[in-house]
Amino acid sequence: MSEAIVLPPELRLDPIVEGDVSIAGLDQHVLELIETKPPRSWYIAIAITSLMALLGFSAVGYMISTGIGTMGNNVPVVWGFLIVNFVFWVGIGHAGTLISVILLLFRQRWRNAICRIAEAVTVFAFICAMMFPAIHIGRPWLPHWLLPYPNERDLWPDFRSPLIWDVFAVFTYFSVSVFFWYLGLIPDFASLRGRVKSKIKRAIFSVLSWGWVGDARHWLQYEQAYLLLAGLTTTLALSVHSIVSMDFAASVVPGWHMTIFPPYFVVGAAFSGFAGVVLVFAFVRTTMKLENYITMRHMDLLNKMVLFLSCVMAYAYLMEGFTAWYSSNDFVRYIFVNYVFGDQWWAGCLTIFCNCLLPQLLWVPKFRRSVPIMVLVSSGVTLGMWMERYTIIILSLHRDYLPATWGIYKPTPVDWGILLGSIGIFLTLLLLFLKNIPLIAAWEVKPDIVQELARRRTSARDPERARLMETGHV
Amino acid sequence: MDKLSIQMGEESLGQKAISRRRFLSLMAASAALAGTAGCKASDKDVIVPYSKKPADVIPGIANYYASTYQEGLSAYGVLVKAREGRPIHIDGNDEHPIFKGKTSLRTQAEILGLYDPQRLRHPRISGRQSSWDEVENLILTSLRKSAKNKQPVLLLTPAVISPTRRSVIADLRKTLPGLKHVEWEPARGLSERKAAEALYGSFAVPRYRMERAKVLASFEADFLGSMEGAVEAAAGFAFNRKPATPKHLMSRFYAFESRLSLTGAKADARIRIKPSAAAQIAFAIAWALHHRHGMGLPGKLGSEVLRPFNLDAIARRHGLDWAVLSALTADLARVGRESLVLAGPALPPEAHAAVALINFMTGAEGHSVDTSHSVDAPPLAEPLDMARLSRELARGAYGAAIFCETNPSYGFVNADEFNHDLAKTPMKIFLGLQEDETARRCDVILPINHWLESWNDFETSTDLLSLQQPLVQPLYDTRQTEEILLDWAKELTESSEIETEPRQYLMARWRKEVYPAGTPASFDQFWTAAVCDGILRRQAVSRPLRRMRPEALKDAARSAASAEASTGLELLLEPDLKVWDGRYANIGWLQELPDPVSKVCWGNYLAISPEDSKKFGVSDGDSVSVADGTQNAVLPILVQPGQAEGTAFAALGYGRKGDVAEGIGTNMFPLVADDGPAPFLRLGVSISRAAGRQPLVRSQKEFSTQGRGDIVRLWSMDEYRRNAKPPKDEKELATLYGNPEWPEHKWGMAVDLSACVGCATCQISCQSENNIPVVGPEQVSRGRIMHWVRSDVYYVGPKENPELAHSLIMCQQCDDAPCEPVCPVSASVHSSDGLNEQVYNRCIGVRYCLANCPYIARRFNFFDYTSSIKDPLALAFNPEVTVRPRGVAEKCTFCVQRIRNGTQIAKDQNRPLRDGEIVPACAVACPADAIVFGDLKDPESRISKLSRSDRGFKVLEEVGTRPAVTYLAELKNPPKEVRRV
Repeated sequence: MSEAIVLPPELRLDPIVEGDVSIAGLDQHVLELIETKPPRSWYIAIAITSLMALLGFSAVGYMISTGIGTMGNNVPVVWGFLIVNFVFWVGIGHAGTLISVILLLFRQRWRNAICRIAEAVTVFAFICAMMFPAIHIGRPWLPHWLLPYPNERDLWPDFRSPLIWDVFAVFTYFSVSVFFWYLGLIPDFASLRGRVKSKIKRAIFSVLSWGWVGDARHWLQYEQAYLLLAGLTTTLALSVHSIVSMDFAASVVPGWHMTIFPPYFVVGAAFSGFAGVVLVFAFVRTTMKLENYITMRHMDLLNKMVLFLSCVMAYAYLMEGFTAWYSSNDFVRYIFVNYVFGDQWWAGCLTIFCNCLLPQLLWVPKFRRSVPIMVLVSSGVTLGMWMERYTIIILSLHRDYLPATWGIYKPTPVDWGILLGSIGIFLTLLLLFLKNIPLIAAWEVKPDIVQELARRRTSARDPERARLMETGHV
Repeated sequence: MDKLSIQMGEESLGQKAISRRRFLSLMAASAALAGTAGCKASDKDVIVPYSKKPADVIPGIANYYASTYQEGLSAYGVLVKAREGRPIHIDGNDEHPIFKGKTSLRTQAEILGLYDPQRLRHPRISGRQSSWDEVENLILTSLRKSAKNKQPVLLLTPAVISPTRRSVIADLRKTLPGLKHVEWEPARGLSERKAAEALYGSFAVPRYRMERAKVLASFEADFLGSMEGAVEAAAGFAFNRKPATPKHLMSRFYAFESRLSLTGAKADARIRIKPSAAAQIAFAIAWALHHRHGMGLPGKLGSEVLRPFNLDAIARRHGLDWAVLSALTADLARVGRESLVLAGPALPPEAHAAVALINFMTGAEGHSVDTSHSVDAPPLAEPLDMARLSRELARGAYGAAIFCETNPSYGFVNADEFNHDLAKTPMKIFLGLQEDETARRCDVILPINHWLESWNDFETSTDLLSLQQPLVQPLYDTRQTEEILLDWAKELTESSEIETEPRQYLMARWRKEVYPAGTPASFDQFWTAAVCDGILRRQAVSRPLRRMRPEALKDAARSAASAEASTGLELLLEPDLKVWDGRYANIGWLQELPDPVSKVCWGNYLAISPEDSKKFGVSDGDSVSVADGTQNAVLPILVQPGQAEGTAFAALGYGRKGDVAEGIGTNMFPLVADDGPAPFLRLGVSISRAAGRQPLVRSQKEFSTQGRGDIVRLWSMDEYRRNAKPPKDEKELATLYGNPEWPEHKWGMAVDLSACVGCATCQISCQSENNIPVVGPEQVSRGRIMHWVRSDVYYVGPKENPELAHSLIMCQQCDDAPCEPVCPVSASVHSSDGLNEQVYNRCIGVRYCLANCPYIARRFNFFDYTSSIKDPLALAFNPEVTVRPRGVAEKCTFCVQRIRNGTQIAKDQNRPLRDGEIVPACAVACPADAIVFGDLKDPESRISKLSRSDRGFKVLEEVGTRPAVTYLAELKNPPKEVRRV
């Protein structure tokens, strides 16, 4: 016997699943769900969320038929809730990728249980986000003019405009995210194809699983493709919000024209995204009894990320304020003072409180594992990040260069309706997803279960060896 | 010319929506009118428009016709632009010796008056539609009855300054001896007239020659704003306010006033006074001129008259800065006759007498107060006369009452009583454009022609006659007032000798009375030339200088000296700059024009001082009730910086009932006094908090520069001397992208903020030229006003008496325009002659350009503002400018349609473009000539020279936009006794 090799802690395989788990149990939890009738509470929930979505659609319909003026937009605050919502949802859409992809590249196996839901959050958040640029334009029947396509007018979009970069960035990110999500689903669809009883469903899953049979060659190529896409998505995750931030940074508006914006927006996006998935997980793991798969350890790790990003955000705010002061530019200085001391001081103050102060609770380990606390903090961060976009967009526009032009933004019921509607759309899609698509990547978690069961068997048979294994001895 | 009937079959135009066919037939008919006599508009469904093109009318090419518009005692010479026979834009008549191509903003807005959807379209009897024959029969029966019973007939009209109308009324009186003609201007103060009649025996309306005055002083006289003659005054005032270098002449203006008026905002020294103190202060200045500077008093007037007005004592009594008053007297003594002192129409006659005395002492009377060619003002009725009239009506003294273009049921002090009294008259006849408050109480309503559909002449100066000619066929079944009156005269005498056709009547009168004997030109040539010019200049002997009666002056001094200090609030009432005495209330452009000082539109308010707002515990938008003991009015408060403590101001002309004006503002006429020497100045009114709030509709909410000193520039002459930089060649900033090159032209604009009086005429002109929609009070208060050019106002200094800094902001046509690269669909692009162009068809409305414009010069169509407008308002649109659809951005284009037109004409004629050949609408309208446009590539052009001015600056230059608009710093020339902050 060779001498003992001790693995460094980061390479040790911590238990990823907890409690009473088994392959069959996972199948039952994840795959059978699709065939069982959901509980009454699901119907109630989806009824509420679809009503919200309906409200949003009616608000949009009214706005499109009557005019942008039905919202609070004015001169000088020409961009209002719709752009705030757009940036907000793009931000929420960041967590999925970051969790799923970056952790994959770092070989953090604990991501396996939560990646599917996180990716779903990304896709749905982007669906919400992409609605806004299209409906916010003055002539919403012409959004395709933003796309470069051969046309009889021989006209192209102006590639100098950050809005065009935006279109590309968001579309690319969305399509790659959808594709990545779908790729992850293929082996699970194949499992479902074998399980479902209804012929129609079987046919659907046959098509969706692309003839997957799970032989070694499939797996080899699959893993490579998965990894490649993950690499691609990572760069996109960094670029998309950088480019969204350039909508603002490339302008001359005081408070927008900042070089710090791209990294600051990316961090903000990840921050709100993590808070968003914490909220979703806190809800899903309890209501759907997935505590054994989405464990407290997951929540603890996610909360650590929230805490870390909160500190980065605080730093970013400080740097932004410092830049404003250091620039000696009166217009820029004024706007930063105005964020926290102006007519709508509460917007800036709420931003700082929710994003920098409230998450500091998570330094306490007990709080990181307390569902009520994490729900409180994550809701706070979600609100805070929305307020941050409100502050940046609306409070920068409402008092720019010439005081004679200063105005104020007053949201109308249409504004609120559309915001509520987007939340409704997101939640409805999420509920449909939870019912109809395997919400945990079963093919990725099964090896973890096998390993966990093996570990348990070992520890039952040979406690000494198990102890050595847990401390990293091979 | 034959009378052209535009009646298309049974119903006249406008009763239904105007179809294209109807519109074209209207065009053909009116074009015919505009051209020569002859062709008759055919019947409906038969007409084929332009199968024979009328002479003079080329589709797509505008025609211009001179005409004249009367308002009060003013007759504005105008040049009306017509496209395909349809008037679309009004500018001043270049040939006019007084107005010199400028006109008032209200005149410009009269285009909408012509196309007002609320215009009466048919005669009406007791509310039902009728025919001219029927109403004439009814009226003639009644008039005959009155004549038989020897009952008088009342004819109430506005001021008559038209010799033709006077002659028409005389003709009517011949047939109707009981005709009692009363001329009435509800909002016009008559103190000046009373003072003049006492002092000189008659009231010759003087011309104030501001351009001759180096030192000016005004007492509550808003001569650049709401006073008659403001257009000429603004031009003359600005003439001495734009020195090319610090060495050039700059006048000095002292304003004594309670309200912060447009005029006071331009003052070099603004002294807050109570209006009741004006007479004493003016006499005190006369005292100082006499005792300190040895200036003589008129004729036999002994200096004891001025004894009660020791300057020091008066200054102490009214809490004024003695040094400033001394500076004024020293200045007046220094410049002598090159000075001008004015009193406002609301002040009592003794203030006018005191001012007349000062002008006599300095020698300004006869120099800057020019009565050499004045005509005597018509006898206007006072509130007192109107009250008497009302009592006569109550007695049933009149057999019939004719209300001609006047609205006593709204503008009379005690309208309810008047309406009640009116009911006693058996026959009430209304002649007017709209069914207004008075019309609704009349038995017979006769629709009259708009002035753009009428023939007339006006005499405001003995050496000048102004002609009014129609631009378009009457749009509806209407007749000109003169024609209606002549018809009655003809019917009553039953003779066929009376000419009833207004044009023929006018020509006949001119042939007899105006055409000078021995003229080499035939009358037809003479007439055609006069119609073409719109004016006729005549030889006239100068009037002798007015002689002052010392007795009258003694009386005035006595009553000024005996005036006791008033208790309670002093309320000043003046006609509104925009809706005047209410006659323009239905014109959306005017209602939506922000007041140049307070930036309030769509309504009036009670302006009180910041001190009083604390005292009464009220703030902007709080409803208050103003009461004078018998009447009261409820309106919102505006805390107006610069308003004198213990005084209040409200504009007349609001609270009308009509389509656009319904529920807009409060009628302040009930608070006008119906007796006393100064009906528009109320002493001892009280205000109390009323229930609720009426938020003010304001286009600007922030009036402080926030320490951003360089967005406007307000220099004293000392600062100018210090800061003036010698003109140097502009060094181009280094840039990565290279500087653009302008192959042919590079358009630029200069705005002289020192000349600009902030009168807002440019805004109306721009609105008319560029089809800018009216969005309504609710949208304005939400920040969606559409004006392409706006005047920003900043209060500088203490809020009790701040200085006002103006800044006229339109699209700056930046070389490095931030709006251009951010547009995703290339709707915002740069032209090769330096214009920042907006392609409406391409715009999808992302509004990034609006967000990125540091000047907030862009506007957005938040709704479909134009498709819902009522017929026939669409006829007012300028066909050369796109009517913007919903959801697109828009902005000032430097009137690109005029630029392209001008360059094309020069190209057609194969010659280079002349400097000044292309003028945007704002610059044409600017009475102060503060806006200059031209080609920056031509180093000799006016604009190039102004761009190099030593007081030139660009707004927000530091943003790097490289704007094409140069501003010239606003100058103040305060006496050194006035400390500026």
